[in-house]
Amino acid sequence: MPLIKIDDREIEVEKGITVLQAATAEGIEIPYYCYHPALSIVGSCRMCLVEIEGMPKLQVSCNTSIGELPPERKKDGKYDMIVRTQTEIVKRERENVLEFLLLNHPLDCPVCDQAGECFLQDYSYKYGRAHSRFLEEKRVRKNEYLGSNVIINHNRCIMCTRCVRFTREISGTNELFVQARGDNSKISIFEDKSLDNLLAGNVIDICPVGALLSTDYIHKNRFWNLEEKKSICTDCSVGCNILVYSQNNRIFRINARENHSVNGYFICDIGRYGFHRYEDAEKVTSPLIRSDGGFKPISWEGALKEIYEQFSRSKDGEKHQIVGIASPFHTNESLFMFGRLMDNIFKDKSIIGKLPFIEDYEIHFDSGFRISKDRSPNRQGLLDFCLNLEDEILQKVKTGKVRLCYALDDGVDRKLDEEWESFFKSQRFLVVQTYAMTPLAKLAHLILPGPSPMEREGTMTNDQGRIQWLKPSVSLTNKTRPDWEIIMEFMNTVGKRELKYSSVNEVNLEMGERFPSYRGMTFFKIGYQGLPKKNIATSRPSEGGQAGNTVT
Amino acid sequence: MATVVKSYEPTFRDKLYIPALFQGLMLTFKHMFKKKVTIQYPDEKHVPPEGYRGLHRLNKYPDGRIRCVACEMCAAACPAHCIHIVPEPSPWEEGKERYPVRFDIDLLRCIFCGFCEMACPEKAIELTEIYDFADYSREGLWIDKAGLLEIYELTKTQNYYTVPNDE
Amino acid sequence: MDLIGFIIICIKVVVVFAATMLAVMGMIYAERRISAFIQHRLGPNRVGPKGLFQPLADGLKFLMKEDIIPAAVNKPLYLLAPAMLLIPALMTFAVIPFGSSLTLFGRQISLQVADINIGVLYILALTSVGVYGIVLAGWSSNSKYPLLGGLRSSAQLISYELAMGLAIVAIVLMTGSLRLNDIVTSQQGHLFSWYVFKQPVAFLIFLIAVYAETNRLPFDLAEAEQELVGGYHTEYSSMKFAMFFMAEYANMITAAALTVTLFFGGWDIPFVDEAAMGNWGALLSGIAFILKTAFFLFLYIWVRWTFPRFRYDQLMNLGWKVMLPLALLNIFITGGILTIIS
Ligand code: SF4
Ligand code: SF4
Ligand code: SF4
Ligand code: SF4
Ligand code: FES
Repeated sequence: MPLIKIDDREIEVEKGITVLQAATAEGIEIPYYCYHPALSIVGSCRMCLVEIEGMPKLQVSCNTSIGELPPERKKDGKYDMIVRTQTEIVKRERENVLEFLLLNHPLDCPVCDQAGECFLQDYSYKYGRAHSRFLEEKRVRKNEYLGSNVIINHNRCIMCTRCVRFTREISGTNELFVQARGDNSKISIFEDKSLDNLLAGNVIDICPVGALLSTDYIHKNRFWNLEEKKSICTDCSVGCNILVYSQNNRIFRINARENHSVNGYFICDIGRYGFHRYEDAEKVTSPLIRSDGGFKPISWEGALKEIYEQFSRSKDGEKHQIVGIASPFHTNESLFMFGRLMDNIFKDKSIIGKLPFIEDYEIHFDSGFRISKDRSPNRQGLLDFCLNLEDEILQKVKTGKVRLCYALDDGVDRKLDEEWESFFKSQRFLVVQTYAMTPLAKLAHLILPGPSPMEREGTMTNDQGRIQWLKPSVSLTNKTRPDWEIIMEFMNTVGKRELKYSSVNEVNLEMGERFPSYRGMTFFKIGYQGLPKKNIATSRPSEGGQAGNTVT
Repeated sequence: MATVVKSYEPTFRDKLYIPALFQGLMLTFKHMFKKKVTIQYPDEKHVPPEGYRGLHRLNKYPDGRIRCVACEMCAAACPAHCIHIVPEPSPWEEGKERYPVRFDIDLLRCIFCGFCEMACPEKAIELTEIYDFADYSREGLWIDKAGLLEIYELTKTQNYYTVPNDE
Repeated sequence: MDLIGFIIICIKVVVVFAATMLAVMGMIYAERRISAFIQHRLGPNRVGPKGLFQPLADGLKFLMKEDIIPAAVNKPLYLLAPAMLLIPALMTFAVIPFGSSLTLFGRQISLQVADINIGVLYILALTSVGVYGIVLAGWSSNSKYPLLGGLRSSAQLISYELAMGLAIVAIVLMTGSLRLNDIVTSQQGHLFSWYVFKQPVAFLIFLIAVYAETNRLPFDLAEAEQELVGGYHTEYSSMKFAMFFMAEYANMITAAALTVTLFFGGWDIPFVDEAAMGNWGALLSGIAFILKTAFFLFLYIWVRWTFPRFRYDQLMNLGWKVMLPLALLNIFITGGILTIIS
């Protein structure tokens, strides 16, 4: 392995990597714009210049790979390369490069959405000169729409071509190109093809300056006002890692988060703009009970009392059948609790089913980026925790029996066809746990307010069997309670249990106790990058889990 | 190293105290006839010294358009966190593409440090020399965009920035 | 005593009472204005001409304030305390002669409410009673600051009463009478027959002691706003608080009048024989008395806004280690000289 020296540090690196990669890995900062780990290297911005011993001129570190020298030609007797990043000449050249980049730059940071997370700002501050010597008129161009969600401010563009390479290499759609040469060059689209692929939003993320702007976020807020939460996307079963930015419990934007085992550096536009669905939905924030054709808010005590009346009083020797409808939109912890409620408390009286999965077309990009056809985040978890799930529940429910139903709602995406609607209508008592007035919720007799996807916390298992932690990005409002807690109260009410989990972590621990493939999947362990599920076949845990006799 | 400070040794006259007491009495007596510093407020108005930092105002361009671009630099600089801005793309075609739809200052929280006017890149916010804006309610001391622009109208003739307001 | 005599006494009581109360109001106004002047301010100048009606406005404000009785107080004593302080303060004035005698309709009327032959003792006795007001207020409030104020006040009053008493003894020795009228008469004649010149040490001791007795700065440790939030009257509000206030000023007026009587010839105008001038003399003597008293009242205010407060141990040191021995010495010397002369 080559041994190189960057400034005062000796580093042993893999053969073939570039100087910039080596330095970054070692924590030595070299400023750069056009380089992006997911894209090909062009070396066009010249920001990453460094001095390399033996080379007559400064070199672009992003495009200089490290090789091994024969022993007799080693520098200082042992190094394969000696790099200097802090010499006078490097500093001067950085100043010069920045001055060029800023020639036509408007410096309108006050109105620029990138301000605060802009590399041009940061590097100008750190490496640039304080004053401009440019006296001529700046070139001014109007903003343009590149696609329905992307605006370009040409004045701010530094021609790093990251966006162009993105459309060529990642989305493979080739919408963007550099038009004209030299001072006249600008990022453009072809007349007949706008930037409207499902990954288009990513160019906004990767643009190092504020040239590419999202129509969804433009002039809405400032970066430093936003609170950043690391979470995962719940819009398909890939489970992309995301950063959610919010202020005062309102989400402003969602960006991609790096996770090489899941989504790489990018996310799709479905997840990026999907959060607006929850804002537009009619929220449910208090338990509601049906009365005179409408709903009326009641307290939690009242709701639980109602549940007790309906579910645990046997009336006139009638035979009950309890139908549980689980949902692949919920966390593993909620589903685990739900399975426990059905299997361990209602036992044989119960039957557990699900609504048809929400599916759409599957999309593959050449770069390997994938949008799953399964548009629910946790189908795997549903299958793991609700072991005796009936697929054909509509046929299986016995006619003639009193039917009580407890349904976890899928949320705003769920539509009901007639068959299902009449199924739910035929229930004697329907409890729906939801966060919005969905078609299913409208049929309910009792609505329990649970958290919306942005408020949920717990683990999700993606279609590759990777367990990831869903972190809440906004806090619960009003009388809403976490899903697992509602199910726990349900169990305590109808099953006379005294469960007292104080947080989702405790449920998670209990879940690990009973399902070996999930053992030890605590937040502390899986962190922000997730872990693959253990490959242990799950047998149906009997009452009381593995030990077999503790009854819960 | 410790330094020894010689304390003042009282003389015999000092120790008698009586002369010192008389000295003190004479001093206060003299002051009784000095010029009074009281300003009879509602009749006479206090004229603040130059650079006084009073109530804020939001400046306008000569064509009446608000100068502020809602960059929230002032809000970020504000040590009291009392500036609340809601930005939006501006409705006009030419000129600045962003403007504040709401611009509220909680005057009860404000400490009148003037950081906001120093932070403003657009010379949009300024502290005027108005100091008598007391009110009977907390809500009354929450000044909004309309109020701030009104203050500008009231104090248009003055320019509190050191650099003249040329544009 | 005949009926007319009784009526005359009643009139005198009313006149003296009204005059004292008026003087209290004047004092409050003067205090605020003079303190303002010393601090280059204007002071109250809005209510009435030059703010003269300010005390009335203050009184009205006190009347209209909510009268709060804290829950934990000892109610009877708490209610009694302000009166205990105010009444002796007003009563003291009864024995002070404020002019030579008047002759009306063939009757000689001495300008004094009660000419008793133990006037000096009466005054000493009443000032001692006044302390109880403060101590009771402090104790019955059931709160720490008032209690501290009350304690300080009792210690202070006891120690300074001694010095004051002894200073008066020197005067009594020279006069040979406890009657205040006699003391005034014995100072008549030329200027240097005033006891302030004959007994300068006694005067000084008396003056200092009297400041301590009236709880005025630099000896207002019982109130000491900065440490005790107001001391013994912290828990009082409305008119009850006003009574403490009035008592303080009434005490000052009495003390000033007493100083004048004992050391500055009372109503005496030097080189003038008031008795020979009949009623005009009486009037002049009255005015002289008022002017002299006014000066001492002014001195009170002036001192208050000039000197800082004593520390408690300094106060005690001064009282017991300086003033008391000095007063005793003074008596010995006076007694010695008197023996030699006679
Ligand atoms: S791109 Fe960066 S430097 Fe340019 S205006 Fe935007 S924030 Fe400022
Ligand atoms: S728009 Fe942004 S990403 Fe594209 S070339 Fe310009 S600066 Fe680079
Ligand atoms: S003067 Fe200071 S405290 Fe007041 S709004 Fe401006 S920055 Fe904030
Ligand atoms: S007042 Fe100035 S600093 Fe504040 S938002 Fe407006 S332009 Fe920005
Ligand atoms: S990062 Fe190396 S040239 Fe742009």
